[in-house]
Amino acid sequence: MENMSFEESLEKLEDIVNKLEKGDVPLDDAIDEFNKAMNLVKICNDKLNSAEEAIAKIVQENGDLIEFNSNE
Amino acid sequence: MEKEKLTVSQINAYIKKRMSMDHGLKNIYVKGEISNYKSYPRGHDYFTLKDEDSQLKAVIYNHRKRFLEFVPENGMKVIVKGTIEVYEKNGYYQLKANSITEDGLGHYHILFEKLKNKLKDEGLFDEKYKKEIPKYPKHIGVVTASNGAAVKDIITTIKRRYPLCEILIFPSLVQGKQAAPQITAQIKNAQKYDLDTLIIGRGGGSIEDLWPFNEEIVARAIFECKTPIISAVGHEIDFTIADFVADLRAPTPTAAAELAVPQIKELKNNVNQLTRRANKSMNKIIQDKKINLNNITDKQIIKNPESIYDIKQMHLDHLISNLNNFSKAIISENKNKLKILEKSNIFKNPESIYKLQKNSLESLINSLNYSSKNIISTNKNKLKIIKNNTALKNPKKIYHEKQISLNNYINRIDYSSKKIISDNRNQLEIIKNSKILKNPNEIKIRKQNQLLNEIDKLEILNPLLTLKRGYSIAKSDDKVITSVKDVKTGDEVDIKLNDGIINTKVI
Repeated sequence: MENMSFEESLEKLEDIVNKLEKGDVPLDDAIDEFNKAMNLVKICNDKLNSAEEAIAKIVQENGDLIEFNSNE
Repeated sequence: MEKEKLTVSQINAYIKKRMSMDHGLKNIYVKGEISNYKSYPRGHDYFTLKDEDSQLKAVIYNHRKRFLEFVPENGMKVIVKGTIEVYEKNGYYQLKANSITEDGLGHYHILFEKLKNKLKDEGLFDEKYKKEIPKYPKHIGVVTASNGAAVKDIITTIKRRYPLCEILIFPSLVQGKQAAPQITAQIKNAQKYDLDTLIIGRGGGSIEDLWPFNEEIVARAIFECKTPIISAVGHEIDFTIADFVADLRAPTPTAAAELAVPQIKELKNNVNQLTRRANKSMNKIIQDKKINLNNITDKQIIKNPESIYDIKQMHLDHLISNLNNFSKAIISENKNKLKILEKSNIFKNPESIYKLQKNSLESLINSLNYSSKNIISTNKNKLKIIKNNTALKNPKKIYHEKQISLNNYINRIDYSSKKIISDNRNQLEIIKNSKILKNPNEIKIRKQNQLLNEIDKLEILNPLLTLKRGYSIAKSDDKVITSVKDVKTGDEVDIKLNDGIINTKVI
């Protein structure tokens, strides 16, 4: 589950929450789903908190990447 | 002093001569928009140059046309180099063109419309080819000038909204002749990288500045690109061909960045909200299950499971007793029926049925015999009566009787007819003896006397007879005077007497 993209994690989380809100889930399944949901919440939050600054790079003619400096 | 009179030809010739001497009308450059452009069979093209206020006739002759670098069309803004010449015959002047060059925007406008229609017809703008822009991109490419305002706007916006993705910048010229091929090359180059979204664009500028984004090669590169492309060329009002082909058009570079990435704040809110909803619904599920469990444990059966057995036992007893009662009732009912049958006469003495039937049969035969005899005797009697009938014994007697009654009738008719005849004769005699028939004149005389009598009565009423007795009638203007008021002094009055008229005057 850790390999899922943010988008997939969020979608999966939404699915599980919708399923739980319907209420007609056996208790054992509900507990399983809830645990999965909490795990997905952690994954999503980890991803959202992982980067504090986007990285911008210039692709040079020879294919090299150099960091973009906006003050140039 | 009488002035010299000129012919039309003379004045037109004079104007032509004067204008041809004027160097201000030779080898001049005239700027304007082409309209009414018409090619004539001999190869000369005639058109009108116009601006907002005025128009100028112009012509380009066949031998100059071959030097043109483009095909002139209506609506094009052009600069015409030429000389004003007078066309004597029709009395007008026109600009004879040596060369025509395109002037700025009119040219771009036409190219734009042409390419737009061409690509539209080919289906490059069709909605079905539009790719979806990924919601949560990790890598975003930007094809633009690396030193422009556009790239700074895009990077700033992405960093602010969604610092989770990497931005790769593919530098390119964005104006001038080299721009279009570079943009095209960078779009192709960008596809080598694992990009979720590609933004292509530049900041605002004139139509010439933005022109590379109206080039066909750029349009086709965008269309063929596998990565979803957001175009962001110029300002909101600027529309380029690139905008029509791109999967999504952004009005500005900043807007393109906003469309490319979500807001991380919103995503965090979203995750938090989903967490709350998960907790809430899980709690509800647990609560519901608890309530269900309580409902079940509260039931008698769970508390006292033997009660099920007891209830079933009772039910079984009840059923058995019902069954017993029911079968007994059926048996006794059938026994009773059997007894009744056994007691019945028929069952004891079956022959009685035969006797009973025999008796009724015999009685039927008897009554049949009796009634048939009766009918026969009745009819025999009737026959005797008929036989004894006088008419049958002596038919002539009937004839005789009828003869007598007929004679009676004849006698009676004879008598009454004779009486009628004699009565009528008497009446006739009376009429013959009447006065009127004997002396019809008597009636006439009587009627005449009556008439004379009437005339005498009328004589008495005649006013003229009154005059005989000394009365008179006074008239004025032929009107009878009946009042003093009818006349005035001096009026003539005629007095009618028995034997004449006296003419008088009122005094």
